Amino acid sequence: MPKIIIDGREIECRAGIPVLQAALEAGLAVPHYCYHPGLSIVASCRLCLMEMKLPHPQTRELVWAPKLFPSCQTPVQDGMEVRFDSAAVRDNQKHVMEYYLLNHPLDCPVCDKAGECYLQDYTEAHGPGSSRMVEDKQKNPKKDIGPHTLLYQDRCVLCSRCVRFCDEIAGTGELAVVNRGSRGEIDVFPGRPLDNPLQGNVVDLCPVGALLDKDFLFKQRVWLLRSTKSVSPADSGGQTIWIDSNEQGIHRIRPRYNERVNEWWISDEARFGWKYVHRPDRLNRPQVREAGTMRPARWEELPTLLRSRFAEMTPGASLAEGALGPSPDTALKGRGIAAVLSPMMSCEEAWLLARFVRDVAPQATLVLGHVPVVGEDQTFPKGFTIKAEKCPNRRGVETILRHLGGHTADFRTFLGQAVERRFDAAYIVGGYPDVWVTPDVADALAKVEFLVVHDLFPSRLNERAAVQIPGATWAEREGTFMNCDGLLQPFERAIVPPEGVKSDGQFVYELAGRSGLFHARKVRDEMAAEMPQFAEVFVPRELPKHAH
Amino acid sequence: MRDEDIIVLQEPKLSPAERLYLPQIFDGMVTTLRHMFSLKRRQQVVRQYPEDTRQGRGELRIANYRGVHRLNKDAEGRVACVACFMCSTACPAHCIHIEAGESPWPDREKYPVKFEIDELRCIYCGMCEEACPVDAIELTPHYELVGRTREEMIFDKEKLLQVFEETKHTKPRKDPPITDYGLTGGQGKDVASPNVERKV
Amino acid sequence: MTNQTIQRVEGALRNPLVLVGVGAVLTVPAALVLVLAFPLYRGLLSDPFWFPLLVMAAVLFLILNATAVCILAERKIAGFTQDRYGPNRVGFWGLLQPVADGLKFLLKEDIIPRRVDKPLFLLAPCLALIVSLVGFAVIPWAGEVHWPWMEAGTTVSTQVARLDIGILYVIAVGSLGVYGLVLAGYASNNKYSFYGGLRATAQMISYELPLGLALLCVLLTTGTLRLEEIVNQQAHSGVWYVFVHPLAFLLIVICLFAETNRAPFDLPEAEQELVGGYHTEYSAMKFALFFLAEYAHMITGSAVAIALFLGGWAPLPFTSWLADNTAWWAMLLKFGVYLLKVALFIGVMMWVRWTIPRFRFDQLMRLAWRSLVPLGLLLMAAVAVLTLFGGQRVWWAGLGVNVLVLLGVLWWAARSKQPMTGRQEDLPPVEFGAM
Repeated sequence: MPKIIIDGREIECRAGIPVLQAALEAGLAVPHYCYHPGLSIVASCRLCLMEMKLPHPQTRELVWAPKLFPSCQTPVQDGMEVRFDSAAVRDNQKHVMEYYLLNHPLDCPVCDKAGECYLQDYTEAHGPGSSRMVEDKQKNPKKDIGPHTLLYQDRCVLCSRCVRFCDEIAGTGELAVVNRGSRGEIDVFPGRPLDNPLQGNVVDLCPVGALLDKDFLFKQRVWLLRSTKSVSPADSGGQTIWIDSNEQGIHRIRPRYNERVNEWWISDEARFGWKYVHRPDRLNRPQVREAGTMRPARWEELPTLLRSRFAEMTPGASLAEGALGPSPDTALKGRGIAAVLSPMMSCEEAWLLARFVRDVAPQATLVLGHVPVVGEDQTFPKGFTIKAEKCPNRRGVETILRHLGGHTADFRTFLGQAVERRFDAAYIVGGYPDVWVTPDVADALAKVEFLVVHDLFPSRLNERAAVQIPGATWAEREGTFMNCDGLLQPFERAIVPPEGVKSDGQFVYELAGRSGLFHARKVRDEMAAEMPQFAEVFVPRELPKHAH
Repeated sequence: MRDEDIIVLQEPKLSPAERLYLPQIFDGMVTTLRHMFSLKRRQQVVRQYPEDTRQGRGELRIANYRGVHRLNKDAEGRVACVACFMCSTACPAHCIHIEAGESPWPDREKYPVKFEIDELRCIYCGMCEEACPVDAIELTPHYELVGRTREEMIFDKEKLLQVFEETKHTKPRKDPPITDYGLTGGQGKDVASPNVERKV
Repeated sequence: MTNQTIQRVEGALRNPLVLVGVGAVLTVPAALVLVLAFPLYRGLLSDPFWFPLLVMAAVLFLILNATAVCILAERKIAGFTQDRYGPNRVGFWGLLQPVADGLKFLLKEDIIPRRVDKPLFLLAPCLALIVSLVGFAVIPWAGEVHWPWMEAGTTVSTQVARLDIGILYVIAVGSLGVYGLVLAGYASNNKYSFYGGLRATAQMISYELPLGLALLCVLLTTGTLRLEEIVNQQAHSGVWYVFVHPLAFLLIVICLFAETNRAPFDLPEAEQELVGGYHTEYSAMKFALFFLAEYAHMITGSAVAIALFLGGWAPLPFTSWLADNTAWWAMLLKFGVYLLKVALFIGVMMWVRWTIPRFRFDQLMRLAWRSLVPLGLLLMAAVAVLTLFGGQRVWWAGLGVNVLVLLGVLWWAARSKQPMTGRQEDLPPVEFGAM
């Protein structure tokens, strides 16, 4: 590990990284626009310039070189000494900032980037505070460059991060810098809009308000938003995200840096795939079928009701016996009961529900629910992958089922058995954003006498369900997802469920006969005692503001 | 702050009578008694409100009195607000609710689709007026503000604009220092180009 | 009624002549009935059992109405002290304000919060009011009266209960008053209310002590606990005990403020700190009951203090005029004098309230335990020694003892470093580092 001296402070850093990266990792707030650790280095913004000690041409002794060097382009070498805290560096930053503001419109009050804008923050920290520009500013109308993105060219500082992103990470190269000098601007090629499946990242990459998300445009000011650490349920990769919400409404989703999965990026599916959370047709109260019609039920009556109905379906198998393990004459009892654990559930919820069902009916069949798969894994040049499996926790549920053993089945097999009327009762968990109850699923489940449906939206199961329980989306719950590589990542609750809905974790917690509040952490500790896979969760390092 | 800037105040020493406290109490009671029987002072100080108002006596400072809000209109009669949320951010009572949208006019980006002030929650501190970059929201000298329901006291955009119509003669709109926020970069008023140039 | 009619009625009531007319219409028939029915109840008036009860009914009626007037008086005094007018909208000079207040209390929504201890919550205000009213039983309102139609030499008493332990009864019942407040604070299930209740208890316990000590001084001199005896002694000798025990009177007055939770000792309901203290959760008529209890308590307290120190019904000091006169007109005169004294006393209490800011709780405690209790002990010891040598028969001897004690306290105050009121002196200068 090389050691370098920045501002008189000795810093140990990784080999081969630029000085700027070393400084940022050491916690220094060095201004920069064009440098991004995930992109190639162009050294065009001239804001990160530093002073460096070099050998004097004659005396060979180390002196501060008269010229400034771009710290983003200078790799670290053991023993080198640089400084950012000098008059020359600050002077450079001040004048470069003034230059950037020559044509930049002062429309921060209506700009969506205000509050998280590099230009705004750097101007406050390093800028001159006034402009000597007397000419009219250049005006440039905003451009519609893609289905999701708008380009406000006069706000652009031409750092070319977006262009490099499209070239290197997405590999599609839709964007380019056209013209030169003060007329330079970002643009797309005619007939080729910016619409690759990762394009949303250019909005996050843009250090100013030039590239904006049409979806988020004018919705909120960023300082009003509360960011919650979460994991995207869009695919099985486990992309870590920030959920930005305000007053119990999600407003946008941003990538959360994760060195092991998605680095700085997320797919557009993860970014825009939260709309279903606020769909007005979500189920919002539990219902119980009585004499053929559904009646609204109270949440408090459900645990007892389900417990007693399941117990009835397993003649002779009382709870005490279940706890003692299957005795010879209970070997067949509970065969008629199944629980379908959705891969949209968190590990904790799946475990609690599976334990509850096995408690009541030791011989019950546990089923891994429908795993939606769309196409094939899509891998991008630098390795970013969008998984074909569009659910976050298939592997977590599988791990739990494998641990619990006994009768397990996959979803297809379960449906086949259901058609043969092998099941009297079933607890079905959905939670998918899209329609998943196809007619054949509905027909198979129609053969189950006592059907409990725990789902987000009304579906074909409505007429068949004996008990209908409204579910909560992942943003309204807490827990952990295990991604397709077995990485266990926790997510936090961003908003409260809509009125009338209880979070799944809390409900299954009460269903399992426990009182108090559901804490994913505590349940996970219990699970870890039995399953070492759940002992450790991975929480990526949190980066400070403007760290990349 | 330097040491020599600090003035150390010594509390005055109490006399034995003051330590007993009672003489001081009697002193105070004499003072209140004097006030109790000074009819003249009472007549000077008290204003019998419904009959005798500050407005009637011309004592109300119209320029800076903080009464009910108004939303100003610009010279062309459009709402002056650009929906920047500065007022609702500054508001300590969280009583301003804005929904922004793309403005239908070419000279600005945003405008408020919805603009609501809960006059019951408001504490009339005037921070919104301070925060507004385009002087669109202002507090008026109108202080007789009553309603029969809570809903009635949530003023929406139309009502706030109506307040402007009613008060613009007593308190004209200030000359805003900046007229347009939008795609023109803050200087040109002559923008006639379409709002969005469709490239794709 | 339309708004216009309401306005017209309001305007009319603001005319003093109309107001007097309405008053006359209401009172003259009642008075007429009383006069015409005189032969019917003449027998009751001379009955030693029924007469005191009638007096009590009259007094209760009077006092419950007096509280309403007290509230108006309080607000008027508050207004005047602060260079305002006070209520002046309802009726001429705001005189109908109590009526409006009463109507409002009756018509307001009576809220019982969901999580209160309901029986106690309902009991508390009733208890507070009842306890503050039962003290009236032993007040000798106007001594004995001889009606013209009675046998010569026989009299009836205007006192309801002629108890041997008169003053003890007052103390016992008076300190029960805090029970209502504690219950209210406890039952409300509200931190602030509970604080109020706790403060009331602590305050009551602390101020009972100097109160008892000051009472002992008087009782050593009187040799009796019967209130009518004490008043008689003063009326006959013409020497009111305030001249004999001025310091004890001072102690009693201070303690009275504390016992009735009046400013400057109104910490149980300190609005700025405790929202409303023990009555935070009370509304409408239940709240009014607390209000009523406070004023009734004031009236009882001042009536007792007057009986002990200010000669009760005796109209003038240093003369025994009217002392032995049991004529009915003398009785009415004595009654009037007593009520006048109570009114003046309450006036002073209000005056004090709007003059002195509220004590801090530690100051309140310090005042009781470090100033009043030692002073009371000292005073009682001195009076006891005096009584041992028969000094209670010479009135100026008591005064002399009081003066001596006062001089001693002054001397002590002059040389002690600690102020009596708990104000910190000679604070070390605050040192700041270079910032």
